[in-house]
Amino acid sequence: MIALAAAAAIAAGCGRDDVKVYQVAKDNSPATPPAPPREAATPPPAMDVAAAPAQSGNALPQFQFSLPPGWQQVPTSQMRVASFVVTNLSGPSADVGIIPLPAGENELALVNMWRDQLQLPPTDHADSVDISVGSDPAKLFEFVSTAPVLDGKFLQRNLVAMQTRGSMSWFFKITGEDAFVTSQKNIFLQFLKSFTFSDSAAAPGLLPTADLTAPGGPAAAVPPADMASSIWTVPASWQSVTPSQFLLAQFLIQGNGAKAEVNVSQLAGEGGGLLANLNRWRRQLGLPPVDQEENFSKMVDTLTIPGGQAQVVDFNGTDAKTGQTARLVGVVLPQNGQTWFYKLMGDPGIVAAQKDTFLKFIQSARYPDAH
Amino acid sequence: MPIKSLIRFFTSLRLTVVLLAFAILLVFIGTLAQVDEGLYNAQARYFRQWLIVGMDLFGHHVPLILPGGYLIGTMLLVNLLAAHIYRFQFSVKKIGIQLTHSGVILLLVGQLATDMLAHESQVRLAEGETKTYAESSQNYELAFTSDSDANTEQVITLPQSLLVPGREIQNPNLPFTLRVKNFWKNSGAAFRAPMVANGPPLTTNGVAANFDFQPQPEVKTMDDKNVPTAEFEIIGPNGSLGDWAVSGWTADDAMVDGLRQDYTRELGPDMARQIVKDLTHPQTVSVNGKTFSFALRPERVYLPFSMTLLKATHTVYQGTDIPKDFRSRVQLQNPRTGENRAVEIYMNSPLRYSGLTFYQYQMTAGEMVEQAGAIPSSVLQVVRNPSWLTPYVGCGLVAVGLVVQFMFHLVGFINKRKTT
Repeated sequence: MIALAAAAAIAAGCGRDDVKVYQVAKDNSPATPPAPPREAATPPPAMDVAAAPAQSGNALPQFQFSLPPGWQQVPTSQMRVASFVVTNLSGPSADVGIIPLPAGENELALVNMWRDQLQLPPTDHADSVDISVGSDPAKLFEFVSTAPVLDGKFLQRNLVAMQTRGSMSWFFKITGEDAFVTSQKNIFLQFLKSFTFSDSAAAPGLLPTADLTAPGGPAAAVPPADMASSIWTVPASWQSVTPSQFLLAQFLIQGNGAKAEVNVSQLAGEGGGLLANLNRWRRQLGLPPVDQEENFSKMVDTLTIPGGQAQVVDFNGTDAKTGQTARLVGVVLPQNGQTWFYKLMGDPGIVAAQKDTFLKFIQSARYPDAH
Repeated sequence: MPIKSLIRFFTSLRLTVVLLAFAILLVFIGTLAQVDEGLYNAQARYFRQWLIVGMDLFGHHVPLILPGGYLIGTMLLVNLLAAHIYRFQFSVKKIGIQLTHSGVILLLVGQLATDMLAHESQVRLAEGETKTYAESSQNYELAFTSDSDANTEQVITLPQSLLVPGREIQNPNLPFTLRVKNFWKNSGAAFRAPMVANGPPLTTNGVAANFDFQPQPEVKTMDDKNVPTAEFEIIGPNGSLGDWAVSGWTADDAMVDGLRQDYTRELGPDMARQIVKDLTHPQTVSVNGKTFSFALRPERVYLPFSMTLLKATHTVYQGTDIPKDFRSRVQLQNPRTGENRAVEIYMNSPLRYSGLTFYQYQMTAGEMVEQAGAIPSSVLQVVRNPSWLTPYVGCGLVAVGLVVQFMFHLVGFINKRKTT
């Protein structure tokens, strides 16, 4: 019986490594129809992992940059030397890419290529604005679609910065939903200003400032603290940490064996409204939700900030994650078409001691202009 | 006496318990190994083996010898058959047990047959496209194609397992020798745009003049795919015909689609089309007046019939992105039987035809695709499993046997109670 089973196994296994020869009818049909440019179902597997970085083995200059809060570096695709995703909590994320190409392309042709990508008609003039990438001049082109080309639902806005360096042109492109890219415009411009090239020809191989093929973030991008300090006056006792997903900034406050955290996030529009966010914070403390009819405004204080007012809530409860007693001070601040959310949460003693500092931190903010 | 000892051994219940314990241990080890090695590698290494010599767990090599899945399964089958035959006594009262044992035997045999004989592949079709073959989702083959006559061509395929660096491959149907220089089980592809990749090309012949292929770490998760690349020298009767590179990136529709999407996003559709055209341009050599085109493509299984995708329908529940219906309307044409009919394949309703089962697997269709001006497409999973009925029959026999045996006991018990 064993011998029979072994023979069956061997017979079935045989032939798997053989060369096969056969005759087939010629494929006389027209060339394979062009495959669809977008996969609505499962995307091609392993694209990002399997694709080689376009910059391998080249002599491109090295570069460094400050990674803005909320931006996440991701593995590069074919033509790019760096690639980022900017998370948008209320819509599609924005995509940022840096692509070096040989210089000499007709500028109008490039503009019309970018317009074509947004299904815009061609133009006969290439409008641009002068900006800086690092300390050198560059041009910024801006396009917005007139039809919902993004996922079939949203208008798309593309910002393309172009800088020519010797025989190469560097393109910095951010694309995404119109309002979100608009809100990111100043952050994008600050990112470009932070960009510095090192034109050392002796530097071989991959650009050392970031492990561009490794998912999960850059190896050597400037820490987010520098970007945070450009917006707020951060208290010295607060430790800036790499923000988790969906946060723009995050700080840790420790003392006497206890700790509290400050989280900063931003959403387009009203960000769900005050009541929804108030109840979200109450859930984090294991507190029951409130509704409109309970006149929740009694729970809300006002904080005066330069140019307006913010709404402040202060709750005591039990941290739903740790089971420890906790206090939460939350601030909701509408600002130029966006809503900023600030949360100080943790040990009640630390929160009590830091509340005033927290509110002053919020009042110190110098926000990028949004539209 | 040795024969009696053998009989005692193979009919022993202790053997059954030991084998079941090994089976539990094997499943446990295979499950842990899957974390690092991936599902397919773990299956091949632990379950499709007679003997396992050494295993790698959590990065450590453990020098252990264990029976593999084939040995355990076969020994369980032998044990069950031997015990059944040795202790067989025909009795109406034991029919239930005989049926149950038969069902279990059939399950074991059926599983062995499935493992040996079952084969899965895929058919990827765009609307309006016709294909007469299915393709493997994992394995590749190096295919050499030449004209036989006006209507047919000869195809010679070498499985990727033969592409071992340093090996020379000769075949009576090929008028040249292949000297394999490199083979990467997984690789990446990058367009050699001027000033972006100015290292030396892999070779100046064919696709490698415009594209760089580089080795990549092997992927092991079920959602990813290894795309191989090989480099070899072709040596004809008059000498070397040069070094050539072949890659799954150039002849696998799914990979080409992905690259096209990427370049379209970066450079626009026109440049993307040109780049992909260069990527998929056929590579050929001519020897003794005969031209051979060659490519590293997903392993093909030719079908005795053709399938044309008439319509791919993808609908979602209104106001959501939750899929409601994936449906492929396919024209089936079989020149041998004269069949020419339309069939629909959709979720939970596969097509069973010619010993094969076609399941609706993936789809690129619907409103978004139409708005992008793209052509909808569908991927059908093709399963050949000659022993697909054995689990149903086996479980049925076991169920019937248990019911029969139980009824004998129940009726006997009731009768006994009546008489007392």
